[in-house]
Amino acid sequence: MQEIKDMICPFCGCLCDDITLEIEAGKIVSTDNCCTIGNAKFLGKNRLKNPIKKIDGTWTDITYEEAVDTAVEMLLDADRPLLFGWSGTHGEAQCVGVHMNEILGGVIDNTTSVCHGPSILAIQEVGHPGCTLGQVKNRADLIIYWGCNPIEAHPRHMSRYTTYADGYFLDNAFRNRKVIVVDVRETETAKVADEFIRIKPGGDYAVLSSLRAILRGKSDMIPDSVAGVSKTQLMQVADMCKTCSFGALFFGVGLTMAKGKYKNVRNAIEFVDDLNRHTKFTLTPMRGHWNVYGANEVMAWMTGYPYAVDFCRGVAFYNPGETTAIDILARKECDACMIVASDPAAHFPRACVEQLRDIPLVVIDPFETMTTTIADLQIPVAVTGIDAEGTAYRMDGIPIKVKKAMDSDYPSDTEILTRIYNKMLEVKGL
Amino acid sequence: MKTLLIKNAFVIDPIQHISGETMDIAVRNGKIVDDVKNPDEVIDAQGMLTLPGGIDSHTHICGTKVNFGRYMSPEDMRAGRTSRKGDMHATAGYSVPTTYGNSYRYSRMGYTTLLEGAMAPMEARHTHEEFRYTPMQDCLANTLFDGNWFALQAIQDGDTKRLAGILAWYLSAAKGFGVKLTNPGGTEAWGFGKDVSCINDPIPNFDITPLEIIVKMIEANEMLNLPHSVHLHCNNLGKPGNYMCTLDTYDAIPDINDKRQSLYSTHVQFHSYGGSSWNDFCSKAEDIARSVNDKPHIVIDTGQVMFGKTTTMTADGPMEFNLYRLYHNKWSNHDIEMETGSGIIPVVYRKKNLVNAIMWAIGLELALLVDDPWRCILATDNPNGAPFVKYPEVMALLMSKEYRDKEFETLHKSTGRRVALPAIERELTWDEIAVMTRSAQARALGLIDYGKGYLSEGAEADIAIYPIDVDSTDPARDYERIINGFSTTEYTIKRGEVVCRRGTCTLEGNHSTYWVKPHVSPAYDMSKDAAFIDGFNRYYSIRRANYPVGEEYLGRNVCMETEASI
Amino acid sequence: MMKVILEVKERHKPNLPIEAECITPKNFLDPEREFHVWKGNKELDITDIFHVRKDGTAKSAEQVEITIRGDSSHIKRVGEYMDGGKILIEGDIGMHCGNFMSAGLIEINGNADSWLGREMHGGKILCHGDAMDYAGSGYRGEKQGMRGGLIEIMGDAGDFAGETMAGGEIIIHGNAGDMPGVDIKDGRLTIMGDCSRPCGNMSGGECRIFGTAYDMLPTFRNEGLTAIDSVQITRFSGDYMSRGLGTIYVANCKYMD
Ligand code: SF4
Ligand SMILES: [Zn+2]
Repeated sequence: MQEIKDMICPFCGCLCDDITLEIEAGKIVSTDNCCTIGNAKFLGKNRLKNPIKKIDGTWTDITYEEAVDTAVEMLLDADRPLLFGWSGTHGEAQCVGVHMNEILGGVIDNTTSVCHGPSILAIQEVGHPGCTLGQVKNRADLIIYWGCNPIEAHPRHMSRYTTYADGYFLDNAFRNRKVIVVDVRETETAKVADEFIRIKPGGDYAVLSSLRAILRGKSDMIPDSVAGVSKTQLMQVADMCKTCSFGALFFGVGLTMAKGKYKNVRNAIEFVDDLNRHTKFTLTPMRGHWNVYGANEVMAWMTGYPYAVDFCRGVAFYNPGETTAIDILARKECDACMIVASDPAAHFPRACVEQLRDIPLVVIDPFETMTTTIADLQIPVAVTGIDAEGTAYRMDGIPIKVKKAMDSDYPSDTEILTRIYNKMLEVKGL
Repeated sequence: MKTLLIKNAFVIDPIQHISGETMDIAVRNGKIVDDVKNPDEVIDAQGMLTLPGGIDSHTHICGTKVNFGRYMSPEDMRAGRTSRKGDMHATAGYSVPTTYGNSYRYSRMGYTTLLEGAMAPMEARHTHEEFRYTPMQDCLANTLFDGNWFALQAIQDGDTKRLAGILAWYLSAAKGFGVKLTNPGGTEAWGFGKDVSCINDPIPNFDITPLEIIVKMIEANEMLNLPHSVHLHCNNLGKPGNYMCTLDTYDAIPDINDKRQSLYSTHVQFHSYGGSSWNDFCSKAEDIARSVNDKPHIVIDTGQVMFGKTTTMTADGPMEFNLYRLYHNKWSNHDIEMETGSGIIPVVYRKKNLVNAIMWAIGLELALLVDDPWRCILATDNPNGAPFVKYPEVMALLMSKEYRDKEFETLHKSTGRRVALPAIERELTWDEIAVMTRSAQARALGLIDYGKGYLSEGAEADIAIYPIDVDSTDPARDYERIINGFSTTEYTIKRGEVVCRRGTCTLEGNHSTYWVKPHVSPAYDMSKDAAFIDGFNRYYSIRRANYPVGEEYLGRNVCMETEASI
Repeated sequence: MMKVILEVKERHKPNLPIEAECITPKNFLDPEREFHVWKGNKELDITDIFHVRKDGTAKSAEQVEITIRGDSSHIKRVGEYMDGGKILIEGDIGMHCGNFMSAGLIEINGNADSWLGREMHGGKILCHGDAMDYAGSGYRGEKQGMRGGLIEIMGDAGDFAGETMAGGEIIIHGNAGDMPGVDIKDGRLTIMGDCSRPCGNMSGGECRIFGTAYDMLPTFRNEGLTAIDSVQITRFSGDYMSRGLGTIYVANCKYMD
C-alpha cells in the first residue's frame, strides 16, 4: 500500500489540492479529504480498454494507429468540423486542440457555452471585480451564494474557502461570517444561510436592479415586493452588503441560465462594482468542471477568445449564440465533430444530440459515456489526475499542476491529440 | 553547428563603444564568434543599420492579468487578425494580442528579449505557460512582492535577512527573475478596499510604511546578489501632484550596488504629475529628470503614452479602481491572496483631451531631459501607455524636433501652458536610441554577463538588421523613414538563426526562459522553515507542496544562480 | 440601372452556413471583380452557390438592385458594409444581414435570422416577416450597437432587440421578446405589440410600447399619463439602477411582484 499526499482532485472547479490517495496494486483504493463526488471520480470504473470504431453499425476493436488515421480522415473531410469539450482535460492538450483547429479550419468550443458562457459575455461588457479564493477565506465577512448550491455541486467550497474556513482576519469563520443565499428554491445551502432570499424564477434581474437602486438612494421607488422578495428584505440585504468589510458574491448556473442570462450576470457585476464605492466586494463564478476555466485561459491566449472560436475562414471569429456548440448543432451547421473529455449526449438538447449522431463523431475519453453510443470512433486515454498529468485553472484563475498518481499504458490526451495533429500536418503537407 | 556571416553591417553597439562602423559579424552555434570559414548562410547587410536585438525591460505580455485583458476584450480582437501561414500561427488583437501576436510583432521590430513586468508568484505557472507560446523572444518575469505577507512580516520584525530568504524562496519557486514592487503597501490595503497615498502612510494591519518596504527590499535584493535591482512602480500612480511622492521616494533610495543601479523606477511618466486636481494638472518632468540626473543609482523607464485605444493593466488594483471611477469603462480586478492585487481597464488616449496630451508630452520630456540615456529607457509600459507597436513612432519623436512640433500642433490648445516640451531642442542620436532600446536594458537587467545587448565575441547572436541607411537618413527630417525602418526589420536574428524576415516569421523560434536561483544558507532556506510552511498552509488556498513551478514548465531555460550573502 | 439576380442553387449540405459579405451593390460596379463566398472552411466562387444574372450597367451603388431568390436562410452577412443601392431578399435571410450598413435599402420578404442590422449606421432595413434575436444590436464587448438608420420589422422580433442601441430607429410591428432595448443609450425603439422587461439599464434614448410590457422593471419611475398619436400611454423615466436618463412610454404594463 502506497500513500500519496497533496494530490489534486480533477472533478469540480474547486480543484482541491490536499487529497490523499491510497494505492494498491496499481489501483486507487481509497481517498482522504475528498468529497463524495471527487471520491467517485478517483475510484471510477468503466474505462474503455482500447480504441473502438463503428463498422456497419457494430463496434470493432482497432489499434491506436488505426484510430488516429480514422480521426484524421473524418475531420479533414469536413467543411465545418466542430471540436468540442476540453474542460475535462489539461491545458497542454487544449493547446494542441487549438493548433489542430487552426489547420482544420473548424470551430473550437468548450463546455463554457453550456454553463458560464453568459458570465463571460457579461464580463466582456463590464469587466470582473474578482479575487482569489484565499482572499475570500482570509478576509470576507459576508458571503453571497446566488443561484448556486455548493453543498451539492462544489461540496468543499464552504469548508475550504468560505463558511467553515478560518482565515487570517476571521479566526472563527462560522461565527464571524454572514452567509446570504439567493435561489428559486430552498436548497441545502439555503438551509445553512443566515439569510435566504427566495426569488421567483426569472426574477434575478429585477431583484438586482432593485438592490442597485437602493444603493443609489432610490429606495422610495421600490415597490413592496419584487419578484417574490419583500422590500424589507431587499433593504436589509443592501445594508448588510454596504456595511460588511469584505463581501464575496459567488454565483452559478441558477443565475447564468435563468431568463435574461448574461444580462443577469452583468447586473450582478455592476451591483458589485457599485458596492465597491462603499466597501470591498468581489464576485466569482462557480465554475463547474475542474478545468473549464483553463479551457478559457488557453483559448484566450492562443486565439484571443475564451470559447466559441470559429476558424473556418482562417482568422478567428467569435460570436456566442452563433459559434457556440449548442447553436451550431441545433442548426446543423457542422458536418463532423470531435469531442474531447466531455459527454454532450448526457446534457445537450435532443436536436443537438441528433445532429451529433448524424455526422461523423470522434470521441476522446477514458470512459464509456452516453456520447459513446452515438459516436463512430472512440479513443480511450489516461485520466488527468490519475494516470496523466497537466495544468488546470481553478475557478478563480489559479493555475495548478494536476499530478498523476501512477503510470499506465494509456496515452494522455496531449499525446493522442499530438499524434492526430502531426498526422494532419503530414496529410496536408504542412 | 550552424554558421552565419553578416557582411558589411553598419553596426551601432554602445556596450562595445561601436558607433556606426561597417563590419562583418560571424555567428557559430548561436553565439557571435571572431570568424567563420565557409558559412552556411551569408547575409549582405550593406547600408543597413545593425543593432543588438531589442530588449523590452518592462512590458505586459504573458500571465493572468494580460490574459484577462484578452478574455474580457473581444472588441480588441477585431483588429490584427491573421490566419495561420507557414510557420506562423493565427493571431488576433491590438492592445492585448494573443501570445503569438505579441511575439511575431515584437520580432518584426527586432526585439529578441522581453521582461514581463508583473507576475504574481501564485500565478507564475500561468505566465510560464504563455512564455511557451511566445516563441520568438527570450522571456523573464518580474515577481511581485509588494503585499507579500511573509515579506511584510519580516520587514515589520526588522529582519532583512529573513526577508531576503523569503524573496529567494519565492523567486526560485516562481521561476522569476526580478523583485517587483507595485504600489508597495497599497495593494495590501486594497485587500479591504483602501490605498496608501505615499511612502510614509502606515499600511493597515502591518506596522510599517511603503518606504520601509522599498528600502528593506532593496537591501534584501542586494543580499541575494541578483542580476537586476528592485523594480519599482511607485505609490500614487496617475494622480495629480504625485511627483512629490516620486521625488521623496528617490531621495530615500540608498546607493548600494557598484555594478548597476540600486533601483529601477518604471513608467515614470505616470508618476511625474503636478497640480492639485485634473483642472490644474501639469507636467513635473523637469523636477523628476533633475532628481534622476543627480542620482546615478537610479534608472527609469519612461512609460510613454501614445494616442489611440489601449488597455491599462497593472498589479495596482486601487489605481485601476480610480480609473474606473474616472472613465466608467469596464473594470476588472483580481486580488491575489497574501501577495498583491491587479486591475484592468480599457482606455482611449485622445489628442484633444488636455490631460492625455500632457501625459504624452511628459513621457517625451523625461526622455529628453534625463541627460544619460543609459538611465532612461524607452518603454510604453505596454500596453498601458500604448501598445508596443508604437515604439518606432516614439523613437522618431525623440529624434526629430520637427516631428514633435508637428504633432504638438494637433493637440489640445492649452497643452503648451502645462508642459515644457516645445522649448526642448534636444534630438536624440542614433547611438542614444540604440542605448535606450537595448543596451541600457541589458545593463539595467544585469544581462550583459549573460551575453545580451552587444555584438562582440561570446555574445548571444540576437541581432536586428533594419532597412535604414544611416548615412543617407537625416532623422530630424526623415522621420517617416525612421518609423518605417524601425517597424520592420530586414532580418531579425535570434540565437544565430533568422527568425523574422521583412515581417514574416520563418521559424518556430528559439525561446528560453531566464530565471534566478539564489543560494542561501540553511538558516534562511524557507523550504525548511517551520513557521513559513505552517503559515503558508494555513493562509494560502493551495498547499505549499503544490506551489512551486516545476522546470517542466520552462522548456529551454537559463537558471541564473547567485550566491547570497545570507 | 443594373439588376443582379442571385438564385441560390440546391446544396448537398443545405444547413452549412454560407458567408457572403461580398453581396453588396457597390461590389457589382466593378465588372472585373471576383466574388468569393465561404462554405465553412472552403472558399468558393459565387457561382458555386448562386446562379448569377446581371443586366444593365450602373455608375454608382444607388443604381444597383440585387435580388436574392431561393433558400437563402443560411446565407450570412449579406449587405455587410452596404453603402447604397438595394437588396431584395425574396425568402428568408441568414444571420448578420446588413451589418455595419450605412446607406441604401435591404428588403426581406421572409424572416431574418439573428443580428439583423448589427452595428448599423444608416440606411433602411425592411423585414416583412419576423426577425430573430439581436436585431439592431451591438457586438460582444462593444459599448454601442446600432448608431443610425432604420430597421422596420413587420412581424415579431426575438430577444434583445436594440441591445446597446446608440442611435437610429427600430420599429417592431408585432411583439418583441425579452429585454428589448437593454443597455440602450440613445435612439428610438418602437414596439407595437407586447414584450417583456424592456430597457434594463437604460441610460438614454426612447422606447415606446403600444402593447403590454410584462415583468416591467421596478427601477423605472412612473411619470404619469400622456398621449402619443392620441393613444393614452404612461411615461416612465429610468433606469434608476444607473443614472436614469431614458424614457419609456408604455400602454400597459405588468410587474413581477
Ligand atoms: S469539492 Fe470539487 S475538487 Fe474538491 S474534492 Fe469535491 S469534487 Fe473534488
Ligand atoms: Zn507595467
